Amino acid sequence: MSLADQATHSSSGGSFLFESHPPIAIPENFDSDVQLMADTAFQFARNEVIPLIERLDEQEEGLMMSLVRKACDLGFGGPDSPEAYGGLGLPKSVATRILEMLSLNGSFSTTIGVHQGVGQMPIALFGTNDLKSRYLPPLTAGEYMGAYALSEEKSGSDALSGSAKAVCDGSDYVLSGKKMWISNAKWAGSFIVFAKVDGQEFTAFIVERDMPGVSISREEHKMGLKGSSTARLILDNVRVPAENVLYHPGQGHKVAFNTLNIGRCKLAAMAAGQVRSALSIGTKYAKERKQFGKPIASFGLIRDKIARSVSSFFAAESMLYRTANLIDRAFASVDPNGNEVEENRKAAEEFQIECSLVKVFATETLSYAVDEALQIHGGYGFTEEFPVGRLYRDARVMRIYEGTNEINRVFAFDRIVKRGLVEKLADASPTTVIHEFLIRGSRAAKDHLGEQEIVACASDLAMLHFASQSANVRAEQLKASGHANSEVALAAASHFEAVATTTAASRLIELLDRCGLSAKVEMPAVSFAGSATVSEAAFEANGYPL
Amino acid sequence: MKILVPIKRVPDPYARIRLNADSSAIDTTGLKFEINPFDEIAIEEAVRIKERSGSEVVVVSIGAAECEEQLRKALAIGADKAIHVETVEKFDSLGIAKVLKSVVQRESADLVIMGKQAIDDDANQAGQMLAALLDWPQATFASKVELTDSTATVTRETDTGQETLQMPIPCIITTDLRLNEPRYVALPGIIKARTKPLDKIELSDLGATAECNVEVLSMSQPAGRSSGRKVASVDELLEALRNEKGAAI
Ligand SMILES: Cc1cc2nc3c(=O)[nH]c(=O)nc-3n(C[C@H](O)[C@H](O)[C@H](O)COP(=O)(O)OP(=O)(O)OC[C@H]3O[C@@H](n4cnc5c(N)ncnc54)[C@H](O)[C@@H]3O)c2cc1C
Repeated sequence: MSLADQATHSSSGGSFLFESHPPIAIPENFDSDVQLMADTAFQFARNEVIPLIERLDEQEEGLMMSLVRKACDLGFGGPDSPEAYGGLGLPKSVATRILEMLSLNGSFSTTIGVHQGVGQMPIALFGTNDLKSRYLPPLTAGEYMGAYALSEEKSGSDALSGSAKAVCDGSDYVLSGKKMWISNAKWAGSFIVFAKVDGQEFTAFIVERDMPGVSISREEHKMGLKGSSTARLILDNVRVPAENVLYHPGQGHKVAFNTLNIGRCKLAAMAAGQVRSALSIGTKYAKERKQFGKPIASFGLIRDKIARSVSSFFAAESMLYRTANLIDRAFASVDPNGNEVEENRKAAEEFQIECSLVKVFATETLSYAVDEALQIHGGYGFTEEFPVGRLYRDARVMRIYEGTNEINRVFAFDRIVKRGLVEKLADASPTTVIHEFLIRGSRAAKDHLGEQEIVACASDLAMLHFASQSANVRAEQLKASGHANSEVALAAASHFEAVATTTAASRLIELLDRCGLSAKVEMPAVSFAGSATVSEAAFEANGYPL
Repeated sequence: MKILVPIKRVPDPYARIRLNADSSAIDTTGLKFEINPFDEIAIEEAVRIKERSGSEVVVVSIGAAECEEQLRKALAIGADKAIHVETVEKFDSLGIAKVLKSVVQRESADLVIMGKQAIDDDANQAGQMLAALLDWPQATFASKVELTDSTATVTRETDTGQETLQMPIPCIITTDLRLNEPRYVALPGIIKARTKPLDKIELSDLGATAECNVEVLSMSQPAGRSSGRKVASVDELLEALRNEKGAAI
């Protein structure tokens, strides 16, 4: 069923840093049941969502809710929520694939992504059986949507600084405060709300829409993602029973951050779906539009945009399913008869470095892909007559939420250092040029954790290594198994490696200079030749060819 | 009532088809396969009948090991049981109809619903031949089906309009495009399908043999379409349609 069946050897978080060519889980190895689920998701997005995107963007009353209900009827309401509570109990990697295919449009993607993800996961991972049985069945069935309320007006990246309060009163807590930017607010029946008990103890609660004192503000006026709901949640002395606390009082940060770890992996899947849209829209337009007597798809600079988008996406997708599988394996070893909640927490935490890196990489791949898809449209891309403008605007938020890319960059390298991985890395023998750059850079950067410019360079080196290694290993596995696409995959991996190596060199040069070290970096020859095969395949496939 | 739905594994209708090096067959490297779309309509119809009136739906496919994928999908859509006649032999339409006859008899099926044709060879013969071999009545190209315990009333799409037939059951119905719109394969159905029975049998279990009297001599790509042109007015369009070779009203 899952990629977990491909279990290789047990890995711990961050081991991609020093393992050389580990076997990894790849999406091509999903079994036919998973392919069928992914097909259903893709067809649903293509046939039910895409034709409605203009009306969704106008926030037509009831339309998004009915679409989500339809999706829930097909089983998309809680693919990885527990079976006993209305979910399908599928592994995270399968739920991730399904979400990718549902994500051709940003607004629907965020809506369903929050609903089945951060709106439910805290309950599934940290809830008591009673909470699970009260909230998960209606959520998975789509009776109402789920939402996650962490951010506040003055507390975004610094999420623990929020001022929402909870005061203990008998067997209840009384919550007050304002939460901002709450996706799905308009349609949600339950909110995961973070507030401080007595202004001190950061705690997670489940708050119902119907509880007296709960209200929702008007919609934010956004530049994109207009079909999604983003509004404020106002808590005016809301009485919440103590049993609605998730995990322990004062331990809300563990609920928040561990949910976000997996959320980041899923966010990468949401970016992936939108990259697929950008590639199909971009290739199609380039083949139709003629200038100088030929389709613009025949021009090298247009082909290069497509090739870079595809190669980078191949790397992002390879990291994504590798990471999702690692998470599956961590969850597979959770003993349901042991301390399940505690073990869930550890499983969600183990691959936090990978989750942050794949979030940053996939969302930046998306930014590149939508930007170039728009460029391919020339002036027409700048109008609302073509779908690419919406894609461009919708994509922009992906680098901001679920932890900004700045926060994720800083966090990833901080974790690498704090987990003692730099020392392990120092002992590793370099497998590629990027790996060598990473070893050198991280050794220099580890004593400069207070200097973000340096930390970000080191984080990028780790990310580029992770991306390029994942792409290469996947392409080699495809070749070894005689997969029909292996030639294109090899070309994409080698093209990506050329792009990544040159980027890594510039990151290392900056890092060393900022550390006050000699910035001499030997740059080996790299080959961009793979791009021809990659763009050819993409134009033939009218989109992502792998 | 027991409904038998034969299904064929065919190349994805949206895939780009290429020929192999000696043009003797299509190149299947990397090609995605699907249930023949007309057969999927047949499955949908059978499952709807089952949902209305509680019949049993059995799907059968004749072919190599990979057909299991399509059978599983049919189970996920809602069929109760699958039979896989596993063989790598070649068949023509009559050969398939003969094997299907044995399956109908083995299963004591009351009704066969199948695609009017498969989108790979577009033969449009197996249903009619099966009816003849069983000596059952048939209604081909169905766009509407109504059943009672003993009769089937079928609206057929013909070149001259719609025709409505009534036949006693058992009978054969072949499906046209407009009969229904197949559902999305829901995720819970896919999970449930894993525990549904899928019997693998061989031709010899049916007392059948592989028969193929048709030989493929060669295959070729259809000629490319020459590009169209824009006309300035409706009159010019009518003029062109009336007078130009290859155009028609
Ligand atoms: C459409 C949309 C939907 C959202 N949905 C939800 C939701 O459902 N639930 C929810 O709780 N939140 C949600 N958010 C909020 C989102 O998570 C926050 O916007 C995000 O965490 C950033 O916080 P901020 O907007 O306050 O920006 P700030 O934290 O003020 O950041 C501003 C800039 O400063 C940078 N920055 C901040 N701190 C640091 C630092 N330490 N080092 C370096 N750079 C730093 C940031 O990277 C950013 O570039 C949503 C936001 C949007 C736009």
